[in-house]
Amino acid sequence: MHIHAYEKLWLAASILLILLLIGSVTYGAVGPGVAMVADSEQPIDAGGLDEDERFSEPRVEQVGENEYAAYVVAYQFGFEPSPIVVPEDSTVTFYVTSRDVIHGFEVVGTNANTMVVPGEVSEITVEIDGSQEYGLLCNEYCGAGHHAMEGKVNVVSQEEFEERNSGGDDA
Amino acid sequence: MGQNQAAHASTDDVSGDEEFDPIGTLTLIGIYFVILLLAWVYVYYIEFLGRDLVVVG
Repeated sequence: MHIHAYEKLWLAASILLILLLIGSVTYGAVGPGVAMVADSEQPIDAGGLDEDERFSEPRVEQVGENEYAAYVVAYQFGFEPSPIVVPEDSTVTFYVTSRDVIHGFEVVGTNANTMVVPGEVSEITVEIDGSQEYGLLCNEYCGAGHHAMEGKVNVVSQEEFEERNSGGDDA
Repeated sequence: MGQNQAAHASTDDVSGDEEFDPIGTLTLIGIYFVILLLAWVYVYYIEFLGRDLVVVG
C-alpha cells in the first residue's frame, strides 16, 4: 500500500502527541505524586456528626512528625473550623464531610478541590509550603446562601500553630 | 506536463500522487500542532503542576 509522505508525517505526529499526553500524566503521578480523591473512607452517619469522634469537634491535630489531620465539617452555609489553621512546611490531610447537603471544598487558586457529600468523608492530602492565607469556598450549589459560603485556610508558622493550639486547649 | 503544480497533474496521472503536494495544508497543520503542544505544556506543567497544594493522596 502506498501512503503519501505527508500522511506518514501526520500519523507520526498524532502518535507523538498521544505519547506526550500519556507520558505527562504518568510523569505527574510518578514525579510530583499527583493523586485523585479516593473513596477509601468509610461512610458515616451525616445526622450523627455530633457523636462522631472526628467531626463532633472539627479541628486540626498533629498525627505524625510534620503530619496533620484537619477534620472539617461543611454546612449551610460555612465551614468548621473557621478559619482552618495549619502549620507551614507540613503535610496536611483534610477529612471533609457535610451534615446537610452536597457542598464543595475548594481552596481558592490551588489544586485542593473536592466534593463534599453528606454521609461520606472526602480525604485529600496536600503539601503545604510557606505562610499564606487561602480562601476557601463551596463550589456546589447548596442553597440560598451558597454565594456567601466561604472559609479560610490560614497557613501559619509552626510556633504560632502550637501557640494557638495550646491556647485553645486551655480555653 | 508540469512537475510541481497540482493543477497540471489532473487528467491521465493515476499513480503519481507524489505530485500532490499540499504544502499549505502541511504548514497549517504544523502550526496547529505547535499551538497544541505549547497549550498542553502550559496547561499541565505550568498552570496545573505549578499551583499550590498539589493533591498527593
